[in-house]
Amino acid sequence: MKISVKDAETGNRISMEVDDDNTIEEIIEEAANYWRKNPGAYVIRFGKKILQAENTVKEARLQEEDVIELIPDPEGGKCFQKICL
Amino acid sequence: MAIRVGENDMDIYSRMKLYDWYDIKKVKNKKILVAGAGALGNEVSKNLILSGYENITIVDMDYIVHSNLSRCIFFKRKDANLHRKKAEVIAERLVEINPDAKIRYYVDKIESLDVKNYDIVLGCLDNIASRLYLNSNCYFYHIPYIDGATHGLIGKVQVVIPPETSCLQCGMNATHSKFLEKRFSCTGKNVKYFEPNMPSDINTTSIIAAIQVQEALKITHGMKNYIKNIFYYDGNRNFFSILQLPINPKCPNHNK
Ligand SMILES: [Zn+2]
Repeated sequence: MKISVKDAETGNRISMEVDDDNTIEEIIEEAANYWRKNPGAYVIRFGKKILQAENTVKEARLQEEDVIELIPDPEGGKCFQKICL
Repeated sequence: MAIRVGENDMDIYSRMKLYDWYDIKKVKNKKILVAGAGALGNEVSKNLILSGYENITIVDMDYIVHSNLSRCIFFKRKDANLHRKKAEVIAERLVEINPDAKIRYYVDKIESLDVKNYDIVLGCLDNIASRLYLNSNCYFYHIPYIDGATHGLIGKVQVVIPPETSCLQCGMNATHSKFLEKRFSCTGKNVKYFEPNMPSDINTTSIIAAIQVQEALKITHGMKNYIKNIFYYDGNRNFFSILQLPINPKCPNHNK
């Protein structure tokens, strides 16, 4: 079935063909790769719910034409994020 | 009994006491841990002391640099010149605001602290590894954990009340874990850090910190109207939302 994934940061949308056994994790990776984002910095929101990454499309109760949103998952809070080189 | 003109203005918390739910004794006695003394840690500490909390511990191992000064109310130029420790300076400044407060600080890793000594933990951190350490330990000991995080103009607060609510780990995905492994590998002696892409913004930081302390006040008073589960703020799109994160049955923190 076809769902839409929206990029919270730009408002852009893509249409994505998914199967019942695809996971939310796979959707995050696919959409993040498409928009050249780091998949580790995003989660999926569906209405008022954060979808759990390991759930399948069926478990998340996604249906044809549903719109889900890729939203940034903040990790900062101190003055800088430290990243290992 | 006689009352004196202006007497009410002598009581620091007289205005707070006008809230029918506010109990100064409960607030004073709660043992609060502030984990992280950066931008969020500064704002959270400020709001805690002004809200009447007097038993506060701050933990952070970093020292102050000049670039911190645009986001940290308690840090001054002379602190940056002297490379003073963040936790120590916040502790010192909180006592200036309330000399009765018992403020402790540790210049150490979050992981070196025993969270079971505290009633509420506020996470003001910058990395997943330390967050997950606090999250799982607080869950195990049934200590409320209020996690704040920002990324530019976006921020979130997750309220974790064991055993009722989901926890931080419930919302993680495999890519988070890949990054986590990378961070955990950063323990050798030739480790380099760089200060990269998205600095915290003081306004978003203030909003997130204020919500964290507001939630701490609710929990302190046993109120049940705490955020379930995530307050999500997006300053780019001018909205906030309360997002639900159900308990993940596969999350190890709920099977104890
Ligand atoms: Zn969990």
